[in-house]
Amino acid sequence: MSAVSELSTIHRVKAKTPEEKRLQKKEAGRDNKAGYLFLLPWLIGLVVIVAGPMFASLYLSFTNYSLIQAPEFVGLDNYLRMLDDPRLHKSLSVTFIYVIVGVPLQLAVALAIAMLLNEGMKGLAFYRSIFYLPSMLGASVAIAVLWRQMFEVDGLVNQVLRLFGFEATTSWIADPQWALWTIILLHVWTFGSPMVIFLAGLRQIPGMYYEAASVDGASRWAQFRKITLPLLSPIIFFNLVLQIINAFQTFTQAFVVSNGTGGPADETLFYTLYLYQRGFVQFQMGYAAAMAWLLVVIIAAFTAINFYLSKHWVFYGD
Amino acid sequence: MAINRRQFLIGAGGLAAAATTMGLGACAPGSRGGDSQAGGQQGGATTLALAWWGNPTRNKNTEAMIAAYQQANPNVQISPQPGEFNSYWDKLATQTAGGQAPDIIQMDMNYISEYGTRGALLDLKDVDVSKFVEGTVESGRINDTLVGINAGINSALIFANPTVFEKAKMELPDDKTWTWDEMAEVAAEVASKAGVPFGVAQVMGSDPLFGTFVRQNGKELFTPDGLGFDVAEAQAWYDMMAKFQKAGALGTPEQISEEQAKPLDQSALVVGNAAMHYFNSNQEEALSNAAGGDYLMEMLRGPSLTGKATDRKTWYKASMLWSASARSKNPEAAVAWINWFANDQAAADIDRAERGIPPNAEIQEAVKPKLSPAQQKVLQYITDIKPEVAATPIAPPPGGGTIAEILFRHGIDVLFGRTSSAEGAQKFVDELKSNLQV
Repeated sequence: MSAVSELSTIHRVKAKTPEEKRLQKKEAGRDNKAGYLFLLPWLIGLVVIVAGPMFASLYLSFTNYSLIQAPEFVGLDNYLRMLDDPRLHKSLSVTFIYVIVGVPLQLAVALAIAMLLNEGMKGLAFYRSIFYLPSMLGASVAIAVLWRQMFEVDGLVNQVLRLFGFEATTSWIADPQWALWTIILLHVWTFGSPMVIFLAGLRQIPGMYYEAASVDGASRWAQFRKITLPLLSPIIFFNLVLQIINAFQTFTQAFVVSNGTGGPADETLFYTLYLYQRGFVQFQMGYAAAMAWLLVVIIAAFTAINFYLSKHWVFYGD
Repeated sequence: MAINRRQFLIGAGGLAAAATTMGLGACAPGSRGGDSQAGGQQGGATTLALAWWGNPTRNKNTEAMIAAYQQANPNVQISPQPGEFNSYWDKLATQTAGGQAPDIIQMDMNYISEYGTRGALLDLKDVDVSKFVEGTVESGRINDTLVGINAGINSALIFANPTVFEKAKMELPDDKTWTWDEMAEVAAEVASKAGVPFGVAQVMGSDPLFGTFVRQNGKELFTPDGLGFDVAEAQAWYDMMAKFQKAGALGTPEQISEEQAKPLDQSALVVGNAAMHYFNSNQEEALSNAAGGDYLMEMLRGPSLTGKATDRKTWYKASMLWSASARSKNPEAAVAWINWFANDQAAADIDRAERGIPPNAEIQEAVKPKLSPAQQKVLQYITDIKPEVAATPIAPPPGGGTIAEILFRHGIDVLFGRTSSAEGAQKFVDELKSNLQV
């Protein structure tokens, strides 16, 4: 490109009179202002309900704060103490097992049920609601209480097992070996919301792909692997990211099933439950705030890894 | 006046800014909120916020006491804040952090030093405790300051369900002479004869029973310098519990673990799954009512090492205490109410022994004929053990209120065979020590 044409471009840009420029700027500014005005309710929420408390907790994580006395700055003490806290490590391992086992299991069940419902059966809306119901109830206190009673020594589960002639004397919620698995089961049972999203995704896959595949003699399994999975992968990815974040924050079920203790023998000591114990039972809100920030880092790391790996398996069809 | 867009925007921006500052201000620890909360002066009347945890009976009694007090003191307005035990403490901590603590606070022994040592509680030296029974005032003294007034006398003990003993065709044991081992023998025998899971339930994680055991060994749970016992005592306790469990006295580890999460009305004693059970004396009425009310639970002294009831080093525990917020705007009014509760017959006539046996000796005497059969039984027990009561131990220092939970958690690990008693005891002591803020 010649110097002349470059000059002419510059000239053309400069061609606007100062008056024109001012007007243009004002116009844009007015548009922005209106935009911000519409954003305001959300912005206030962000600042007051999210960002403010977040920064307050960031500050508190560097303090010794008993809730009763004013916080006292202690630098990195809380974070250093976390390195040497056996219960914190236990709570991390409990939570990791829960996330790594519970989330894939839940998504597998959700996908299986969604595919079943996608077969165009009669009364779809009814079944969809029925299967969605646990998701609305699962995080509630009532269901957690029910869970506790189902898995007791003389609970429903053992009574059914006894009907079939088993000698069922294990208390599933009180035996350290099994307690966490009952809560994972509760998590899997609440497959409703990923299921509904899967169902919507399945509806988007054009039926002609399957028709063409059948004509070519592809088995159902091959169709699932070659058509359903790739085309559904963005939805699977979305559910995976969301459910992992949710699972890390599990609190209610763990709190109610163990009565807030994380028992038996800390086998259901979820991270958030331990955080609560530190903050409100032991009056160490500074330490609890530091724990909260560690959780933020962990969730962010998991999400980042997820996004990185997604390049290798998520297919956006373009 | 017409508002153009610019003015509107500025106004909205200002509003947003104001909202933001207020929000952040509310987050600031210890900041004083608006004056809207109870505790201010409203139209000349003194207002007090009164917080307690309880059960339906206690809620009804407390409301009635508030009404009676307001009638006698027309210039005082009391706003009630009833609650349930667990959430009560979350709420109180949050209120205190926000500078909104209620003026009058029902307090628990496990929490009193958390608040007392941090200057959150009012000095109650102006409350008259001259008529209190010996050993009942000290519970509320933290670092030489009286910050809690005993609201009812209590003592930890072993309850026995008479119907289970009948089923086993056994007599109740002699609780004045029994040792720990004899308790376990009786428990194992009654459990197997009556066919119930528990001979005696909830012993292992009971800090008062562990406390008497430690004291019988010449130590204390807590001293002003921190922990008053060593790994040796903790290990001896765990060893003893493991022995009792194997002998069939305590139930299986799973049953013990499951029982820990049960509320009182579903407890093994109430539903007839336990012959004996650790509880505090003021729970007699609730336990007997929950079991149907046809019979009263029997009350047995805790065991001793020597077989002498006078050696068992039990104490009068405050079932709960009354405290006042150090930041109350009406400290005199708060003190006056607590004084009324502790020393006025009118208050005692309403609450009787619901919060435990009144510590005021005169009130105790006057209220006696008005008590229910269950409460009379409690008063009898509290009076009977008077010659056996040892010095009142100090309140658990900050962080010490977690002792029961830690004691149980490492103990259940020992019972499940996941760790040795030595290791469990070491972990228990280490964790409790690291929680203490002395």
